[in-house]
Amino acid sequence: MRTGSLGVAQLVIARDLRLAFRKPSQLLQPLMFFMIVATLFPLTLTPEMSRLRDAAPGVLWIGALLSSLLALESLFREDAQDGTLEQFALSGQSLTWMLFAKTCTHWLLTGLPLALSTPIVAVPLGVPTEALWSVVASVALGSFALSLIGAISAGLTLGARRGGVLLSLLTLPLAVPILVFGADATHQAIIGGAIGPPLRMLGAIAVLGVTLAPLAAAAAVRIGLE
Amino acid sequence: MSWAWFHRFASPPWVYGFATRWTPWFGGAALLVMLWALYGGLILAPPDYQQKDAFRIVYIHAPSATLSMAVYATMALAAAVGLIWRMKVAHAVAAACAPIGAWFTVATLGTGMLWGKPMWGAYWVWDPRLTSELVLLFLYFGYMGLRAGIEDPQKADKASAMLAIVGVVNLPIIHYSVTWWNSLHQKPTRLLGEADMVWAMVWPLLLMFLAFFLFFAAVVLIRLRAELLRRERSASWIREVLK
Amino acid sequence: MSEFLSMGGYGKYLWPSFVLGIGIVALNFWMALGSLSKAKQEARRRLEMLS
Repeated sequence: MRTGSLGVAQLVIARDLRLAFRKPSQLLQPLMFFMIVATLFPLTLTPEMSRLRDAAPGVLWIGALLSSLLALESLFREDAQDGTLEQFALSGQSLTWMLFAKTCTHWLLTGLPLALSTPIVAVPLGVPTEALWSVVASVALGSFALSLIGAISAGLTLGARRGGVLLSLLTLPLAVPILVFGADATHQAIIGGAIGPPLRMLGAIAVLGVTLAPLAAAAAVRIGLE
Repeated sequence: MSWAWFHRFASPPWVYGFATRWTPWFGGAALLVMLWALYGGLILAPPDYQQKDAFRIVYIHAPSATLSMAVYATMALAAAVGLIWRMKVAHAVAAACAPIGAWFTVATLGTGMLWGKPMWGAYWVWDPRLTSELVLLFLYFGYMGLRAGIEDPQKADKASAMLAIVGVVNLPIIHYSVTWWNSLHQKPTRLLGEADMVWAMVWPLLLMFLAFFLFFAAVVLIRLRAELLRRERSASWIREVLK
Repeated sequence: MSEFLSMGGYGKYLWPSFVLGIGIVALNFWMALGSLSKAKQEARRRLEMLS
């Protein structure tokens, strides 16, 4: 029985969602990390609201980036260890497509909740209420691009010792454009400026990621599985 | 074109011999050209109208910057050749390039900081070109870290090759950052034709570029030899070479 | 001579730059040659163990 592409994607997504909801506490961990990190900045920098507002884009994005990097660990590791990834690669279906489905699910479980929880962190940092939706949108888009790019480094570090640190080290340089435009979008949202251009750049990076990253990730995973 | 010529480059013993023969020539030429260029740049060239004598840092900074990117491009190209044609020697070349390129990047950032302080008043600004050059350094570290982190040499070759290729996207960002964005860093300077600098300042710079390329060639060939010795383990040609 | 060293007042930026640049060049030669001699030593040792 040949399953169509959509069917394959549905199977992969359904499986990942089922597995994830067996341990719901694990889903909360990246969120908790994000909030703790974001809290450290006002503690260590300054409690003064106007200064915090200036720093808010950086705080939000660095917190989001760090917690996403932690979450990326779980993208392929368990499936690589229990042999599922190998099954995917041998199945005759497109590994690229399956990894894309996995990455999207991963974002739904980590990046999207992160984006939705940014108001909780942003308001205490002095971000005005009118700006909150734009902030959520920019973090949602940026974290999606980040998941895609992170899939490449996750694939590359499958066979490496101390892969966790290496994963972060490899993802960071590639994540810089996302950070730059994401923080700019948040900054524009806060000061009420033009949020369009940086959001469009983020969108462009996400589109580029969607088209190229799963291919690179599949190639990387194949190398790691040999 | 005779393909036999190309196939020789796939043979580790032939490449080893090639590297051994050519290293002294590249190294000697690099030294001579560099001395001549330094003489021209430090002594003969007149001070700049705006930057006075500080402009002379260009003689180290610009070639380092160009090489930091050229070496990365070479590394990525060698990695791609290694992946596509499964040439061990190509992977060895890529591995040999990495530390050299990383050092060039450090030289670029360091001399850039020393130039920035008198010119802009700051050792560092987070402007697109400086930031993307710093990212290049991180890419080199990531490449070397990935290689070191994977036990199986073939997997290490392939995985790091992929990383090198993906990172190529950073090179146009570095190069065009000064034209795409409002950057504090200087825009590209025309050296030939309708030049922005007088010839007395330009020829030492061109020579320094040449010297740095020759130096890269010499050092990469030395490192390549070491790589080949390590990779080929106990192949019979090694016995010959070590006599 | 002191005029040459001070380089119009920019000497303290210029000379460290040149020392850094040329130092890195020299360091790379030195490290590459070290890596090569170590590789040769290891290769000799491996060949000895086989014979």
